[in-house]
Amino acid sequence: MESVARLSSLLETARDLTLEAARDAAVPRKFATRALPPQQIKKLLDSRNERDILDGLRRVVAMRYASPPQPTLPFFPAVLKTLSTPYPSTRPLVYNYLVHHAEQDPDTALLAINTIQKSLSDPNPAIRAMALKTMSAIRVPVISQIVSLAIKKGVSDLSPLVRKAAALACVKCVRLDPNTRPLVEEALATLLADKQYFVVGAAVQAFAEICPTRLDLIHPVYRRLCKMVVDMDEWGQLAVLHLMTTYARNCFPQRTQKVKRAQTREQQSRDFYEDLEDKQEEYDDAPYLDPDLDLFLISIQPLLQSRNSAVIVSVARAYLYLAPPTHIHHIIGPLIALLRSPQDIQQIALYNIVQVCLQKPELFTPHLRHFLIHATEASSIWRLKLEVLTLLFPHSSKDNQDLILAELDHFSRGQDMELVRESVRAIGRCAQSSSAQTSRRCLSLLLKQVHSPDETLVGEAIEVVRHLIQRAPDEHRKTVVRLAKNLDTLTSSTARASIIWLVGEFAGFEPEDNIAADVLRILVKKYADETNEVKAQIVLLAAKVYLHHLNNTSEARKALQGTDEPTTEDPDESPVTLLYQHTMLLARYTPSYDLRDRARLFRALLANPSSTELASLLLLAPKPVPQAPSPSEARKIFTLGSASLVVGEGLREDEGIPDWSESEEESESGEEEESEYETDSEEDEKAGLVK
Amino acid sequence: MSAIDALYIFDEHNALLFDHTYTNRPPSPSVLLPLYLQQPSPRPSLIYLPSFTPPILCYSIIQDNILFLSPCSSSAEPLLVLEFLHRVADALQEFLGSPLMATKITSSYDIIAQIAAEIADAGIVCQSEANALRDVVETGSGVLKNLLDSIGASASSPALSISGGAGSSSIPAALRSQLQPAQSSQGSAVPWRRSNVRHTSNELYVDFVESLFVTLAPSGRALSAFAHGSIMFNCKVSGVPDLVLNLMTDGKGAGMGTKGEQLQRVMERVVFHPCVRLNRWKSDGSLSFVPPDGKFALCGYEVDLLGPDAPLTVSNPRAKSTSGLDLPVSIDVSTGLGTNGADFEVRITQPVRSLATASLQSNLGPQGRSKPGQSGRPQQPVEDITIHVPIPPNVRNVSDLRPSKGEAHWNPATSMVEWHVLEKDVGPSGVALRCTVQGKPAEEDEEFTAGGVMNGVTATTYDYDDDVQTGDTSRLGNQASSAEINGSSADSQRQRLERNRELMPTSATLSFSLKGSLPSGLRVESLAVDNKRSRGLGADIKPYKGVKYLTVSRKGIEMRC
Repeated sequence: MESVARLSSLLETARDLTLEAARDAAVPRKFATRALPPQQIKKLLDSRNERDILDGLRRVVAMRYASPPQPTLPFFPAVLKTLSTPYPSTRPLVYNYLVHHAEQDPDTALLAINTIQKSLSDPNPAIRAMALKTMSAIRVPVISQIVSLAIKKGVSDLSPLVRKAAALACVKCVRLDPNTRPLVEEALATLLADKQYFVVGAAVQAFAEICPTRLDLIHPVYRRLCKMVVDMDEWGQLAVLHLMTTYARNCFPQRTQKVKRAQTREQQSRDFYEDLEDKQEEYDDAPYLDPDLDLFLISIQPLLQSRNSAVIVSVARAYLYLAPPTHIHHIIGPLIALLRSPQDIQQIALYNIVQVCLQKPELFTPHLRHFLIHATEASSIWRLKLEVLTLLFPHSSKDNQDLILAELDHFSRGQDMELVRESVRAIGRCAQSSSAQTSRRCLSLLLKQVHSPDETLVGEAIEVVRHLIQRAPDEHRKTVVRLAKNLDTLTSSTARASIIWLVGEFAGFEPEDNIAADVLRILVKKYADETNEVKAQIVLLAAKVYLHHLNNTSEARKALQGTDEPTTEDPDESPVTLLYQHTMLLARYTPSYDLRDRARLFRALLANPSSTELASLLLLAPKPVPQAPSPSEARKIFTLGSASLVVGEGLREDEGIPDWSESEEESESGEEEESEYETDSEEDEKAGLVK
Repeated sequence: MSAIDALYIFDEHNALLFDHTYTNRPPSPSVLLPLYLQQPSPRPSLIYLPSFTPPILCYSIIQDNILFLSPCSSSAEPLLVLEFLHRVADALQEFLGSPLMATKITSSYDIIAQIAAEIADAGIVCQSEANALRDVVETGSGVLKNLLDSIGASASSPALSISGGAGSSSIPAALRSQLQPAQSSQGSAVPWRRSNVRHTSNELYVDFVESLFVTLAPSGRALSAFAHGSIMFNCKVSGVPDLVLNLMTDGKGAGMGTKGEQLQRVMERVVFHPCVRLNRWKSDGSLSFVPPDGKFALCGYEVDLLGPDAPLTVSNPRAKSTSGLDLPVSIDVSTGLGTNGADFEVRITQPVRSLATASLQSNLGPQGRSKPGQSGRPQQPVEDITIHVPIPPNVRNVSDLRPSKGEAHWNPATSMVEWHVLEKDVGPSGVALRCTVQGKPAEEDEEFTAGGVMNGVTATTYDYDDDVQTGDTSRLGNQASSAEINGSSADSQRQRLERNRELMPTSATLSFSLKGSLPSGLRVESLAVDNKRSRGLGADIKPYKGVKYLTVSRKGIEMRC
């Protein structure tokens, strides 16, 4: 999270940087500009002078990376020959060259194996480590046996540097030749029990790479891993966190324990926490947090102050998926701290925050201010921030809700159309998930958008308004009237269509005082100028209005028949009927096939004024209330911290967190093994103290 | 599981500088780059490319205009890969110097190749500490050859210069420290500190950097105000020193628990370099650590300048300023000015600052870089004052830029108005920049107006009662009808105002840097070398210590309007 590079750019002023840049550009290093012919490079490599050899090697390495790359393979024998010189300083470059070219010329590469093997027993551990590292990296399958033997030797080396190299060599060895797996796994088991934490860290990384399912190798070292995790380097910590999350799910079944038993064992009473999932259990039973799991959760807590954002998110994942809900508050602050990181990390961090927020929104409410959007932010960032704001909205206090709404209002008046659209949608989501009072405020905010010159925005706003109205139709009759007034000025066809649809939906209310027929009358005048989308809605409106009219008159007729009075009204002369027929006539001569088709359908449905049941069923059916879920709702199934969560697609290798293990037997066997090694781990503890 | 397939580095023109393949057969840089570039800018840090078999996740960061790309065929944890890329950038800076530049990279391929191979082994990230890399990466004579030749020192053998370590004082410490032998025998006992550190002059520099992130509502009220702080450490001390850094707060949270608790209240959400002993921090709020050699980020924290936990606005006399914040420069934006409403004005003023701020300057020892903070001492100038005003995309031209002081220009590519002012020009009365914007040509505008009037006529034909609380639509209707009555000139004027409102900026950002004080009020109380625990440093040696405080805002102060 804290990058030295970023900070130094803050500290150094721009002037200094340009000066330095100018100087650097002016004096490039000599050999970079002046290329030597291959013969001369060979001569340098063949020299006995360390400086010349180094110079030659550098030139070869530079040639390989130069653009366009120059062929460096012809130097292979000459480069390998320099291994015979006594200068250790040339080794890293030779090894680098060797690893890169071994695959292209395996036969020549094999010439070097002998020298490297000799280095494996060099008195200097750094040279031993480097030799082991290089040998395992040579991708020539013939040597897999030699490599596995070297690993075996390296595992018992006195220097931790070599043991770490051995751990990492395990991965390369298995990749080179899968047949060496049994031997390598054996070596890994030894390395996992190492006393030096950075060796163990590397071993866990290798374990995750080679055999992540062999959890039986972890049983004996579980507690030591938990204790060592704080001291490991960040990458080791990441591997341990990843491993333990899987391990705990597999080996600590969620159990409940009789409360009675807790009373007898006072020291364990603190391990009792609130009910996690087993709500159906009798309340005699309390969920039981395995002490080993508790140990893990406690030992990773200091990692929340790591400077590495990946570690923080991994701890968050462990807490979210393993710990009882009472622990989760620990992870909130550190997750928010990730918002300080550079933009690339910030974006990924926000995906993770949204994921946690979907499950525990109330915990984020005190940190609301961190999610306010800056005008200079990239769209990927503000999109996620907007989502967090809307997720927090129903859980916030009145003041904070005001703040969020003011914020959304501000951005919905901005110039970035994308941002405006998202803000409008966000207002809609806020309105959905809140009380009637705030919902009304959201609605009035949205209605302001109606006058915006941006058509898509108006369409978007009206769409959201329509959703809101559908949720509580009774409260919004007047809103519909207001919207209908806007039909005169609105140009966005989506918005017009939405409003007309709404008017049609409300055509049945208060038959005596309804605007639907009036709206239809005005719309029909300009029918020819409308877009197809709007025309379709006008035709539908006409059908609905006519249907309501038919229903009403038939009811009225029934009532009249009850009183035995003759009906004098001729239905054909009612203005609604005339309007309907006029609309149908217009629809009949519309160029769009679809529209003509629809009109034909409505005509057929409403052909017989006395039987309207089928038409009522089709046209006046209650519409389901639309839901606009939070955009990340679909990502909820993905694991926190995984790439799938960011990509939004289930990736091949992301298996996610396994379910809690069900079987008691498995876990018990695990525990037995654990207890077998208990004495072991206690000894190690002392060893750790000595260290 | 979490293996990185390759590392590609490109320069600012997207020319390949460096490629290193770790494992598998990742797509080549020439294949990957176009796929990265086809994403709309700003490009996401993680791009999923399902067209490859196996599908590729492409991670990217940009540091100093250098693009780092890393394809992964396995679904590693995204943050792991991004952190890895940042560490690569950090390591390159450590070896090649800051800032990174294409020429530096192309001239030191040997070093970069080693760094790339050491940081991740077969795609597994295993060694990211710059100091540990110093121990293993062979920089040898090449890097400094020319330099050393010119000052007459022999650098032919790296081992030589360390044996003659104390004697060769003609070589500057910084240079000698780069000449440490690559293969020191045992490696360091402290993983983040390289072995056998020797410096002729022992120096410790602490830099406090706080970046401001303030959002101000149009009324001037602060919606949010955070300072993101970092403590940068530059340690050039021989042996294995053990340091204790004690901080103090500026009276904030005084009388509320111990000093440690006060500190922890001011510094929120702290992250530490792994060298910091967390227990000491938790118990008494002091930072105790064995530092790495050279530059590193010791600690990062954030300060909520408004938050309920920091009673800034209550106990502090500075709270009298309108926002409750003590910004050295305040900014105000007004829009819709002029007869046509096509002007906007940005005004910055410098409030008269109280002595409390001036006394924030701290010192560490008489030869510290900052002198004791006597009141009345002339305060440090505010530097690099820059205002950025993002201009809406539908603005055709910013026709008139009238800064009362300083330089202003409009950049159509980024659609930003940028204005630089010198601090001496900004007084309590302030300076202002006035701009006139031009929108689309007038023809469209006429059509729009005509349409509006026509609709305005029909708007009054409905006679349903309007909702009381809205008033919005009815007002529009009234306006429209009244405009119709008043004639078309008033109406077009109204329309023009309306249209120009769309062209007004909605925010302006303020950037500056200020040396010598921090918004959080943090100060160094003491920085001591624990002689009992340190090794390899003579008891009588007193390292030179320097403390620097820096407040910066990089478009961090945002004024909305």
